[in-house]
Amino acid sequence: MKAPALSLTPRAANRVRFAAILGVLGPGLVSGFADNDAGGISTYSVAGVQFGYDLLWVLLASQIVLFFTQEVGARLGLATGQGLAGIVRERYGVRWAAFMISAMLIANTGSIVAEFAGCGAALDLFGVPNWVSALLAATVVVLLLTRGSYRKVQYLFVAVGLGVSVAYLVSAVLAHPDWGHAASSLVVPRLASSPLYWLTVVATVGTTITPWGQAFIQSYVADKRLGPEDLVAERLDVGLGAFLTNLIGAFIVIACAAAVYSAGKQIDTSSPDAIQQIALALKPLAGDGATVLFAVGLLAASFLGLGVVPLTSAYAACEAFGWETGVDWRVREAPAFYGLMIFFIAFAALFILLVPARMLITVMFTAQVINCLLLPFVLVFVMRLSADKKLMGPLVSGRFLLTVGWLGTALLVVLSLTLVATSLFGF
Amino acid sequence: MLYLSQAIGRPVRDQHGEPIGRVADVIVAIGDRYPPVTGIVVDTNGREIFLHWQSVTSLDASGATLGTSAIDITKFQQRPNEIRLKLDLMDRQIVDIDGRKVVRVNDLRLDEVEGSLHLVAVDVGPSGLLRRLGIEGPWRTLARGLHREVPERYIDWEDVDPVERTIASVKLRVPHKGLAELHPADLATIIDQLSRNDRVGVITALDDEAAADAIGEMEPDTQVDILEDLEPARAADILEEMDPDEAADLVADLSHESRAEILGLMEKDEADEVQELMTYAEDTAGGIMTTEFVAVRASLTAAQTIDRLRELEPDAEMIYYVYVTDSDERLVGVLSLRDLIVAKPNTPISRFMFDEPVAVHTDASQEEVTEVVARYNLLAVPVVDAEGRLEGIVTVDDAIDTLLPEPSKRRLPRLFSRSGAAER
Repeated sequence: MKAPALSLTPRAANRVRFAAILGVLGPGLVSGFADNDAGGISTYSVAGVQFGYDLLWVLLASQIVLFFTQEVGARLGLATGQGLAGIVRERYGVRWAAFMISAMLIANTGSIVAEFAGCGAALDLFGVPNWVSALLAATVVVLLLTRGSYRKVQYLFVAVGLGVSVAYLVSAVLAHPDWGHAASSLVVPRLASSPLYWLTVVATVGTTITPWGQAFIQSYVADKRLGPEDLVAERLDVGLGAFLTNLIGAFIVIACAAAVYSAGKQIDTSSPDAIQQIALALKPLAGDGATVLFAVGLLAASFLGLGVVPLTSAYAACEAFGWETGVDWRVREAPAFYGLMIFFIAFAALFILLVPARMLITVMFTAQVINCLLLPFVLVFVMRLSADKKLMGPLVSGRFLLTVGWLGTALLVVLSLTLVATSLFGF
Repeated sequence: MLYLSQAIGRPVRDQHGEPIGRVADVIVAIGDRYPPVTGIVVDTNGREIFLHWQSVTSLDASGATLGTSAIDITKFQQRPNEIRLKLDLMDRQIVDIDGRKVVRVNDLRLDEVEGSLHLVAVDVGPSGLLRRLGIEGPWRTLARGLHREVPERYIDWEDVDPVERTIASVKLRVPHKGLAELHPADLATIIDQLSRNDRVGVITALDDEAAADAIGEMEPDTQVDILEDLEPARAADILEEMDPDEAADLVADLSHESRAEILGLMEKDEADEVQELMTYAEDTAGGIMTTEFVAVRASLTAAQTIDRLRELEPDAEMIYYVYVTDSDERLVGVLSLRDLIVAKPNTPISRFMFDEPVAVHTDASQEEVTEVVARYNLLAVPVVDAEGRLEGIVTVDDAIDTLLPEPSKRRLPRLFSRSGAAER
């Protein structure tokens, strides 16, 4: 028998390396795409409608912060093979874990309700009644998560995320924006002193960097069983995710800026169907196609959020109790994990079906406040854990990452608390 | 009894009652069945010092008291066989033998064993979690008001693998499901010790197979008591699950009325077998044999015989020998499973069977049977009647039962294991 070739040609070796990197890609992309869920798209649209191109610089800035927070989360997952909830319990005890998880579960439930509302708003543009879209979305997500393997679910998440990107890219192009203006706004901040401007800045960052996003990337990396050796590929993954996330955000802002703000249209952004009005406002200038694409993008983004947020809740609760987690298990092999996930989806679906629209806004608003209050705790946990040599081994945060991380944390804490203060007490 | 969480953070006082710090951790030496406490770690103004257990006079939920005022303030050095309960075990992930995540350590339970404090169990129940959250008391009051119990669950330290110093998780030694499923012999021991009423309660809660396994391991008197106390229909179901030889012995001991009633409720085939076996005296080959064996005709080929085995799906206990009979059911040969597998598929079994099989007579005494089994190194010996017809087989475990003095019989592990939870 002929001996097998022991070494690869340089080209083949490169191909193998490339394949290995592709194999690692996923958690960062999915987490990034999911940050642009229903809430994200509403926020970006409102930013574009109210301030035109002016807020584009925020997207570039939040992209950088997002990269560093997600990178720490992914690194914790790589180094420990555990989700955040589990490590917080091990390191800080049951009470801190209980506090973090209960707050996160409540806030996440609000987010899931918002995802359902997003699906509903998108399908409403095609004349689908709300209860049909809620039931349909819930059923599809549950089937997907309970039946699919990790690989399949991840591929689908990435595909949906790319679909959202394309949808908004095309609707931005169709809106005939002033590209030069957009490009300069991306790099040169155009500051304004109005409180509404700053509130929108805070909301834009807040919709991108969330407690659940932080918990999700870590659990998802651990669920994929990636290890310290995947650090480089995972950083690439996170970078790509952060970049694409904010690119989509930028396209949404650009589309709305061109079709609504520059066209001099007025939209009451505080009304419950603002997002639908925005989608319809694209029509005169950008044509029917843009409205359809906007709606499809919203639907896909909400759907992605509907998959990822309940998954995060189930990961967090199971990790804290030590129950088996993972998309690869069959339902009966990880009953608590799937049971909780289905429970959160069903609970939010019932909510959207039974609770009147006016109260839904209160619910989502409350969830956002809880998210803002929780984010500082989550970031401080993450930063402290990532500096723990015993826990992280070679993946421990170096001086540069720690400095950047704590700066970002401080910034986000200030932004979060500002948002809470203004939401609760007004200016 | 002391839970680790009750002691952590409590004051440590010297022999004069002066506080010197707080309990930061408790140290045990692993290796023993229940690891003994060897010391405590005290936090004195942010500095951790180690106190040997000999200098600690008491450790409870109110804190620790020392018997000495001279404290060695050298920095704590962990020895290889020692673990720090809070740092190394508390809140850790517990994984099943196959690596699956089961639950986390909610608390650790320490008990006095032979006069000193040992780590005895891992608290994995809701009560432990409530205690850690500091709301166990109010919760229990509330639960009592609602007439609910607060569930407590523990894993015995014996069922946990000895842990290394750098543990990411704690591994179980017994499958998690198996923790609840005791071995039939252990279950039998427990049931033997219960009152007559309680026994029926326990058996009623088991499924037929588990009940049959447990009853099979019990003392004959207890067996009879239980069967007579059970609903006759349930007793019949359980007997059907038992090996026919065991069932026959048991039925023979029942009162006449119960016997007739229970046999009447059993499936006809099984009842007939039991009744046939009952005709033999208890201490003879006929009395200890089982009628579950595989017999085929000499005209079959090897392949046909294997097909036949597949159809019958015999239990592991009798598959190793295939007996060959003629048209009058007289024993004419024996095949081992090995012979059957290595033979060419089309070869008639009469060509390669062993045609002078060792057999015992139904009247043969138990001692004779045992001797035959031992002399020929058999896993089972066939039992024939006066005309040479194959009536049953005695398996090696039933044969050597007679060699052992009565009390230790139950302790011997079965040579042919039942497919249990452990194998999954």
